[in-house]
Amino acid sequence: MVVSKPAIIIYTSDPDPDLLREICAGIEEEGVLYQISSHEGDLDTLAYEAAAESMLGSGIGLCGQRAAMMMQRLPKGKNVFELDHPRFRACRNLGANSARAIKKMPFKPVTGESES
Amino acid sequence: MKLIAGVDIGNSTTEVCIGSVEENGSLRFLSGASRMTTGTKGTLPNVLGIKAALEEAMDRIRMPLSSLSLIRLNEAAPVIGDTAMETITETIITESSMIGHNPSTPAGAGEAVGELIFLENIWKGKPGVPYIVAVESKFSYEEAAARLNQRIPELDICGLILQADEAVLVENRLSREIPIVDEVRHIRKIPEGKRAAIEVALPGTSIRMLSNPYGIATLLELTPEETRMVTPIAKSLIGKRSAVVIKTPNGNVRENVLPAGEITFNGEKNVTISIDRGADEIMDALYSAGEIRDIEGEPRTNVGNMLTRIRTGMADVSGASGADVRITDILAVDTLAPVEVSGSLAGETCMEKAVGIAAMVKTQQLPMRQIAERLSHDLHVETMVAGVEAVMASLGALTTPGTQLPIAILDMGGGSTDAALLLPDGTVRTTHQAGAGELVSMLIQTELGLESRVTAEQIKKYPMGKVESLFHMRLENGAMRFFEESIDPRYFGHVVLLAPGEMLRIEEDIPMERILEVRRDAKQKVFVRNAIRALTHVAPDHDLRKIPNVVLVGGSAEDFEIPEMLMQALAEYRIVCGRGNIRGTEGPRNAVATGLVMSYLGSRR
Repeated sequence: MVVSKPAIIIYTSDPDPDLLREICAGIEEEGVLYQISSHEGDLDTLAYEAAAESMLGSGIGLCGQRAAMMMQRLPKGKNVFELDHPRFRACRNLGANSARAIKKMPFKPVTGESES
Repeated sequence: MKLIAGVDIGNSTTEVCIGSVEENGSLRFLSGASRMTTGTKGTLPNVLGIKAALEEAMDRIRMPLSSLSLIRLNEAAPVIGDTAMETITETIITESSMIGHNPSTPAGAGEAVGELIFLENIWKGKPGVPYIVAVESKFSYEEAAARLNQRIPELDICGLILQADEAVLVENRLSREIPIVDEVRHIRKIPEGKRAAIEVALPGTSIRMLSNPYGIATLLELTPEETRMVTPIAKSLIGKRSAVVIKTPNGNVRENVLPAGEITFNGEKNVTISIDRGADEIMDALYSAGEIRDIEGEPRTNVGNMLTRIRTGMADVSGASGADVRITDILAVDTLAPVEVSGSLAGETCMEKAVGIAAMVKTQQLPMRQIAERLSHDLHVETMVAGVEAVMASLGALTTPGTQLPIAILDMGGGSTDAALLLPDGTVRTTHQAGAGELVSMLIQTELGLESRVTAEQIKKYPMGKVESLFHMRLENGAMRFFEESIDPRYFGHVVLLAPGEMLRIEEDIPMERILEVRRDAKQKVFVRNAIRALTHVAPDHDLRKIPNVVLVGGSAEDFEIPEMLMQALAEYRIVCGRGNIRGTEGPRNAVATGLVMSYLGSRR
């Protein structure tokens, strides 16, 4: 029997290590657990399946330098946030938001000028 | 058959009503419309809005404007209201002697005392001395943790202040558990080498030691004299999740009681009262002065400046010179305003005592005749100024099913609360009181510390809910509302206002319960109080119980909770009170315009 921990699932496919580190830092600062594993598929699939797999209902897909955050029961492809070649700050906030989705707190901005 | 139009120019909306009068004198209402008032009420720019409203109303019955036989304008009440807010206490903290805010994720828990030192200078640290280390955001969390871990065996590091939002990240990598405060924006302002006390509250609680003057005294070993000085600090830290208090030798923290000044009512008697006695006593003084001729503030004080500002503002609007503008009524309301503490390190605020004042000015006759002339010139329709606003409103209100004479109307608009009592013998008593919708908006804005007045207006107008997931929200009354399609993630976790057709997000992070409390409180303070004040004024022998019917009209009567509040408050006096339903169809709107059309019949005879 596979027992899954209450964690945010991160599915990766050839991930950029720096971006992954920042995403994880964002989740950690919010005090939520996470699990990383590599997975087959495009970005939408990674994010969708990660969210579906997560006991907490929040998942992240990371495909090279592209990242997407997803919540359970949203239709595939309708990612809550999606980043392409983001800055570190945006990744940190994306991770924080995946945790805030569970804590039911307002999201931090991940795009635009105010992301710092 | 003649087509008659009634036009009511209000502070914020212009309303029209179209009726047809047969030869035998029977009257039928055909149509109505309402538009934003263009320009200040009673001035020529109003014509634009009047025309637009008339066109809309005539369009509904598919008739050209030229088929109108007569346009009747109201004699707008020559009162203009304005509001102002002034804080009467002020906390000034110099030398940056405290940090107190609510970072979303501080780390560790408990309190500690130590000497302040920046991370880059930690090599100078001496063993045996407790240190609180300040870390700028140029150090990453990994680097900060590594440097600290290296020194922890020899140095007594007992607390941490971070500039970045990384408290949990650093804590997870630290070999010792210490309280950590983060998100301190102006960290460079921290005075190195000074003694400081740090406290982080347990999750779900707020700090206990640093929000207590004796707690600060215990930690920083203060003398009774110094303890008295830090009281404002303790006060401003109440309810915070984390705080730092720094002991500065000549630390200048003072709570100034500003020279709030005195206010003088020139009436049947002259009464003077100091503003800091609070709203209740100010209002008592107002009553004791009787009929008011003018109200003045002590020169060069806050209240003096405030009243001068209102006076000059009014003079600009009405075109009269400042000396001719007389303030004839005020409504004072106590409030608390969050004001940013001067010398703060992380944008701390302190709740300062404040008084909100709505004032009302009686002006000269508004230039209604000019508007009438312009209208008849532009539209080639006979236009006349007919009837006093309050009388017309009473007439219009009588079309509400279930009403009878004597009838009182309560017109709660933006700037003033007006009441009129129409007796069976045709006499009418009227009053205009300062304070209405705009004062409520101002109170909501200041008490919640909102950036924009628009948000405050919206909070006043719409019920709210909190978006708890992408598929549901919890409404302010506890009910849940579910959605087929997912809600835009921008709304997630936010309090939103449910405006018709859209959701409006409140940017500020304020709990829904708090917004609800402030909103209800502001409406109670202004509307309920003013309603009783105005009705008492027009009631026979000033006895509220002698008014059988009160009909609420005007913009604020459309509010989703004010009519209920008033009903409850007036039930005590056995008054039938409710939202008007003009002509049985229009709701509380259009009373004056309807009254103007009705009064045409009377004027014909």
